[in-house]
Amino acid sequence: MKRETINLPGGASSQLRRGGEGETIVWLHGPHGLRDHDPVLAALTEHHDVVAPLAPGFNDLDEIYDIDTVHDLALHYDALFDALGLDRVTLVGHSFGAMIAAEYAAHYPRRVAKLALLSPFGLWRDDIPVADLFSVPYAAFNTMLWKSGKPSPEMSDPSDDPNDPVEKNVQLAQAMTTIAKFIWPIPDRNLRRRLPRVTAPTLVVMGADDKFVPAIYADEFVTEIRGAKAHIIPDAAHMAPYEKTEETFRILDSFLKK
Amino acid sequence: MKFHWFHLMPYPHLPDDFKEKYKSVWVDLPAGEVYDPVKGHQVYNDYLDQLEFAERVGFDGICVNEHHQNGYGLMPSPNLMAAALTRRTTNAKLVVLGNSVALYNPPIRVAEEMAMLDVMSGGRLVSGFPVGTGMDTAFCYGANPATLRDKYREGVELIVKAWKTRKPFAFNGKYTQLRYVNPWPVPMQTPHPPVWIPGGGSVETYEWCVNNDFLYAHLSYWGYENGRPVMDGFWETVDKLGGDRNPYRAGFLQFIGVAENDAEAEKLYAEPAEYFYNRCFHIAPQYYNPPGYTSIATMRQGLTGQVVKASQNLRGANVKWKDLIEAGCVVAGSPQTIVDRLNDMADKLHVGHVMLLCHYGNMSNETVYYNTQRFAREVIPKLRNRFSEYEDKWWPKSPLGEVQKPAPLSTAAE
Repeated sequence: MKRETINLPGGASSQLRRGGEGETIVWLHGPHGLRDHDPVLAALTEHHDVVAPLAPGFNDLDEIYDIDTVHDLALHYDALFDALGLDRVTLVGHSFGAMIAAEYAAHYPRRVAKLALLSPFGLWRDDIPVADLFSVPYAAFNTMLWKSGKPSPEMSDPSDDPNDPVEKNVQLAQAMTTIAKFIWPIPDRNLRRRLPRVTAPTLVVMGADDKFVPAIYADEFVTEIRGAKAHIIPDAAHMAPYEKTEETFRILDSFLKK
Repeated sequence: MKFHWFHLMPYPHLPDDFKEKYKSVWVDLPAGEVYDPVKGHQVYNDYLDQLEFAERVGFDGICVNEHHQNGYGLMPSPNLMAAALTRRTTNAKLVVLGNSVALYNPPIRVAEEMAMLDVMSGGRLVSGFPVGTGMDTAFCYGANPATLRDKYREGVELIVKAWKTRKPFAFNGKYTQLRYVNPWPVPMQTPHPPVWIPGGGSVETYEWCVNNDFLYAHLSYWGYENGRPVMDGFWETVDKLGGDRNPYRAGFLQFIGVAENDAEAEKLYAEPAEYFYNRCFHIAPQYYNPPGYTSIATMRQGLTGQVVKASQNLRGANVKWKDLIEAGCVVAGSPQTIVDRLNDMADKLHVGHVMLLCHYGNMSNETVYYNTQRFAREVIPKLRNRFSEYEDKWWPKSPLGEVQKPAPLSTAAE
């Protein structure tokens, strides 16, 4: 995929990757960021022109110094879509990216054509709490996210330059610090009261064995978003799109084609 | 050199199978199951007695600190302990190390309480501002680790500005907005009590301390040899920023065990030292370093990595006295042995302020007094003149000749 840097008003910028042909969709990545050999990204580009922005902070924590809240995040992506000339967007987000996608769709409902939330978080139930992502050392976050406790080979290395152990840790720290900024200590920034604003057709996909966000949270999103549909993938965890890529895409493709 | 008697105030009744039974001494150790408030009554009173004793035998400062939800240190509010000490001490400086500023909303609360302590004690306060451990801040108090350090620095700067300004001003910060900053009382010391910053090798903290003339205190449990890279980094920063190498800019913490000889030291201090390292320091690794707690610049500098490495050698496994002595975590033996080691420390770290742990783990009262008294009588006099050629600008300066003492209880009752 091609790498681009998009300049935004006010001196900010956004790094992104773009590739594939077809209708444009925006991919909002999860905690692993954008990896060269990301199989989900590769599958998306088979039928779509995929715009994959790197979340602010993942590359440089200074980028989120002035992005303090999920509202600031929504503003950031709105400026990015303007800069890209995307009038209406189809958002496909995974994990942290799904939370951003849901927030964006709630902040700018008229601008979102379709919304696919893969393993989203951002809601909270006292009786079935979301697990603490940081109850394992953050460098070992994969143990919570994958059903096997281990990442797939394509997603195991945080850096394109695996030879520099310090920079590997820096990348991981930047990603996890960014996520922490928007979910610490509890991943609930009142998304629930904004979700009824969403008007886009919405699909929610979760792994049945997600150890981080229990699959029952799919129902919570469906309850709050009018007309939303949920699909639970058996034998998969938070990384369901990576663990069950074929099944995820069977559901996702049919949703995007409708 | 100056000598400060530091109390960590651990809970001394953690069970023998603590390490096997519980995952962590911090954050989620069940309070009602492990902590007994009836025993706690005696623990607090014993510990305050020990701090007061340290003043009587001639320590320069007595130190308290802040930790939350743990069996390692029972002072969620060091200011309460310091307040108790203002009434029963007259001479020793009260080193409150300190208040984790980012946890107080607004941080002016800290300016108020510390000014109260300074006025109550007659200008004897050292105001310490630690960022706080990852456990205390991010996990126990829910502080966002991504913004913790920035919020902390803004808070400290607000407090110092309020103490210096002493009349109303507006503060439009990123984390605190106040239309009227005007805390009462104002501190007795002018422009304000000395500010001490505990640090563990973060580059930003070095520069911040030097630029603001704050004392840099490396509170390490891994001995002065392991503390060298951290203090070298500090002194290099002092040079770089054009400061003078005044040893009173810096402090270091050391476990101490004074005895007749090495054999008696082991007999007296092995058990409480092993209790500290094996139980008080039994911390689940995920609570140490939440994301954002260590800055990227510090990660790239790699220094904290070395500190972590030094500590990892002594964590996890069942730590024995021999390991602690070999690593220099505990300096123990005859008074002469300790004098020699602390001279070596002063040579290598160039620190003028030494914080001594004469109590640790589950040490008995009797042993604490023995250790404290022998250190004061047989060690301090031999080191007192080190660095006497330097002026200590990081030490309380009271305007009072003598502090007012509490009225005797009998008189008050009549």
